[in-house]
Amino acid sequence: MKFSWRRAIAIGRKEVFHILRDPFTLATALGLPVFMVVMFGSAIEFNVKNIDLAISDSDQTSASRRLMDTFQSSGYFKIHRVVSPNEALVNLTTETARASVIIPPNFEKDLTSDRGSQVQCLLDGSDSSTVAPVLGYLGKIQSISNDRIAAFNPTSPFELRTRFLFNPELNSKWFVIPGLNVIIMSMLSILLTALTVAREWENGSMELLLTTPVEPLEIIIGKLAPYGVLGITAMVFVYIIARAVFGVPFVGSLVVYGLGSLIFLMTYLSQGLLISVVTRNQQVAMQIAMMSGMLPSQLLSGFVFPIESMPIFFQKFTMIFPARWFMQISRDTFLKGSRMVDLGIPFLALIATCLLMMTLSTRIFKKDLEK
Amino acid sequence: MSQAELAVEVQNLSVRFGDFYAVNDICFSVSRGEIFGFLGANGAGKTTTIRVLCGLLIPTQGKISVAGVGLEQGEQAIKAKVGYMSQKFTLYNDLTVEENLEFAAALRKIKKEVYIKRRSELFEFVSFDRDMKTLVRDLPGGTKQQISLVASMLHDPELVFLDEPTAGVSPVARSRFWALIRKLAGQNKTVFVTSHYMDEVEQCHRIALMREGKIIGLDTPLALKSSTFPKLMFEFNPKGSLSFDEVMKLGSNPCFSFFEPYGLRFHASIADEKAWELIKSQFEKDFYIKVISPSLEDVFIKRVEERK
Repeated sequence: MKFSWRRAIAIGRKEVFHILRDPFTLATALGLPVFMVVMFGSAIEFNVKNIDLAISDSDQTSASRRLMDTFQSSGYFKIHRVVSPNEALVNLTTETARASVIIPPNFEKDLTSDRGSQVQCLLDGSDSSTVAPVLGYLGKIQSISNDRIAAFNPTSPFELRTRFLFNPELNSKWFVIPGLNVIIMSMLSILLTALTVAREWENGSMELLLTTPVEPLEIIIGKLAPYGVLGITAMVFVYIIARAVFGVPFVGSLVVYGLGSLIFLMTYLSQGLLISVVTRNQQVAMQIAMMSGMLPSQLLSGFVFPIESMPIFFQKFTMIFPARWFMQISRDTFLKGSRMVDLGIPFLALIATCLLMMTLSTRIFKKDLEK
Repeated sequence: MSQAELAVEVQNLSVRFGDFYAVNDICFSVSRGEIFGFLGANGAGKTTTIRVLCGLLIPTQGKISVAGVGLEQGEQAIKAKVGYMSQKFTLYNDLTVEENLEFAAALRKIKKEVYIKRRSELFEFVSFDRDMKTLVRDLPGGTKQQISLVASMLHDPELVFLDEPTAGVSPVARSRFWALIRKLAGQNKTVFVTSHYMDEVEQCHRIALMREGKIIGLDTPLALKSSTFPKLMFEFNPKGSLSFDEVMKLGSNPCFSFFEPYGLRFHASIADEKAWELIKSQFEKDFYIKVISPSLEDVFIKRVEERK
């Protein structure tokens, strides 16, 4: 029997009635993304600030005081003055401080001599999330301190001048929000459809549907379309929040971003349907949806941990997750203004995954019915 | 009976799941305009047979013909000829009557004008006079069943499968629904029905009894009763304070071929009339005894559950 748009539309229309008459689904689909973006967008901060720093100044000279001022005025550190190097060390072990700076006696004197001077920095390596940023700050502070203590500045053969493109102030909100959008929508969209087919199996309506000449593909398309529209509406809300509340700039093309969002949503909605078709049980579908949707999109999409830093196997492995590709599309269109040609690979990967998920759902559905 | 008069013909039908035969080599036929009942315990193979006849399941072996259409013409051709209504699910509760029916019509690709005409005919048939914009969840159980029947009949099928259609509705609604079933049969529609209510099944023209995937009896309700209980059947109404266990112990006497509780009374069939005559006076002390005709429930217990 041929595919019938009339039947697919009838199923879509029925789903719309279900959605409109279920305030919980509607509130979850539209309200939850907005709430989560506002909440997590405000809470997540990649710039590490207010790091407790213990400083032991055994020199007590103008040069050592300038060095301490530089730490203080950077805004990244909360200074705790201690009287001895030993106390600086104790501060680390008792976790009163995350880092310690030990300025030796004769610091200023050594600077004026040809020998130069050494300042010891001790970092709490047990918390690697603060070590990397602190190391970055230390390099910058050393350079500024050298400028401030100009008389003692050794001449450098060249100067490295850094300018940050796309996010000049390294505002982590600009980086977090377009990524957070990906995480929230992947989690939500997979859940929306994971329950629909399973629900019909559980209450027996699927049997009744199947006694009519309806085809599995018509059911799949009919179920995907309304949730796709719902998902896109949620995406628009999230976009408005990102721009209006968090002031994230958008320099790319809305068409490219919209198209990417649509394919991304359809991919996760299809994955939800696949889970629903396979499990036929709402509770199991929910658990699998959470596992397969939430964890990989958070940990293996590049949202927090850069993919380039992962072992080669995992770099390749992340390619099967749609969130990884849309993360790139979202961040690049928001901040870099990337065009469709620049995002060819992510788009192709998303389209391929989307088609794969839809084909699998339809095939497995069809095969199941013939058992 | 000629081929044209047959609504369903099943020959050597088997459905196997792994090593388990859900349906094992069954044969039967159903005439047009017949109300055909399917009786059996859970797992007897009733639903599997219905699934095959609805085009939902490909059998392991055997031939079927439903309203003149065989599996070789494709399951979609069968689906076009049959209507199905189940007790488990009737209609979407959060949709209105109109939305449910429009949905059912769209799935069958019924033209709008045909749908509207058919809907009003069927509303008249089931005497539905409520607002079509009523949400199904707000309808009483009996009315839901009626609308369900309308939904399954919109495409004017030649054969309707009713899978426990009156489960969970009031006795009055059940009686009204069965009046509709008889009316359908009067219009030469074939009705294939499963039910757990014996009084309902008794209204079928013929009944097939299923056990462990096989048909163990197929006949009119009256013929099934007389073939199952060829000898006299009695009802024992306890006079005094005999406990249930004491009565059942008395019933284990070999002169009975059947002795089962029936509400507060007991139904018994005699195996050995001479032996019964010898002990009859003893039983008359404890019971009011009268000759009855067996009920379908007795037949079910005896043949399907295979108890003494």
